[in-house]
Amino acid sequence: MRKDYEKLFTHLEQIDVPNSLFDCIIKAIKQEQELQHTKKLLFAFLFLLAFSLLATPLSGIMVVSQIKDSGILYFLFAAFRDFGAFLAFGQDFILAILEALPLGEIIFFSFSLGICFFTAHLFLHKKRLLLQCLFHNVKLHNLKFI
Amino acid sequence: MYYDEQLVVDYLKGDEKSLEILIHRYLKPIYNFVYRYVGDKEQADDITQIVFVKAWKNLKKFHFRSNGSAFKIWIFQIAKNTALDFLRKKKTIPFSEFENTQGENIIMETLRDPLPLAPEILEKADIAKSLNGAMEKLSLTYRMVLFLHYNDHFTFREIAEILGEPLNTVKSQHRRALLILKKLLTDAPNKCPS
Repeated sequence: MRKDYEKLFTHLEQIDVPNSLFDCIIKAIKQEQELQHTKKLLFAFLFLLAFSLLATPLSGIMVVSQIKDSGILYFLFAAFRDFGAFLAFGQDFILAILEALPLGEIIFFSFSLGICFFTAHLFLHKKRLLLQCLFHNVKLHNLKFI
Repeated sequence: MYYDEQLVVDYLKGDEKSLEILIHRYLKPIYNFVYRYVGDKEQADDITQIVFVKAWKNLKKFHFRSNGSAFKIWIFQIAKNTALDFLRKKKTIPFSEFENTQGENIIMETLRDPLPLAPEILEKADIAKSLNGAMEKLSLTYRMVLFLHYNDHFTFREIAEILGEPLNTVKSQHRRALLILKKLLTDAPNKCPS
């Protein structure tokens, strides 16, 4: 009996797939791939931007206050005031300055400054793509609330 | 010939061609399946496109099973859900129709499979026309059960997975669908040109 029905169903009208459909699907997948890539780029950019906006001024303030507290300025002032003594005790002076340097804060500041430059570089190179994606997402977000 | 699962693995490893082979393999079955739902070629085009994009997006989430037909079931499930979403948005069918089978009848449930088709029905010259007409008159659920079973050669268990129904429900839907189809074909006005 099953065979009868299988035979019957061979008569069922089969709809031919339009020739262009395969290409359309491949194109749609490629577009989706690009969109996903752009979204990842946008998220990375926004994260880096937020990080550099927060971290750079904060670490800058920290470095400045640490330098003020460390006495480096006093060493430098002393070195300029009595250059002869500075030359005589140069090694000690340099060691004292290095010892007083807030290394951790300087490294963190340099790192956040690097991120800041990288974010600016990313924005300059992918400006159009990022703005397009950002505004497209904002529009979609607004539409959801309409 | 490569297995579907192997093609998925190859694609995930970076072989773009594997995806194209998979799309080629399932384009016609999915297109026809979707067409049975929406009954319009242009809409079937759009939905088929969405189905493959959805499948591509979720390819990493696809769970491999020892059963070789896992991918086939999975992509048909996506096609079914996408087609139903489309129909719901269009509101061409009430949502409640999918909650349960229409015309549920205890007596019909217990019926045995109908008798074989009369030979004269099979010999009808315009069998394709009659069959298509009869299929269109069937409810969506019955139509899809018959289509998946006889056209795409899915087992009842696989159909149950695709449609998200219990196995026994699918079996009884199949029985009822055959009864109705047989009646429709027998009663068709243009039957058996003698």
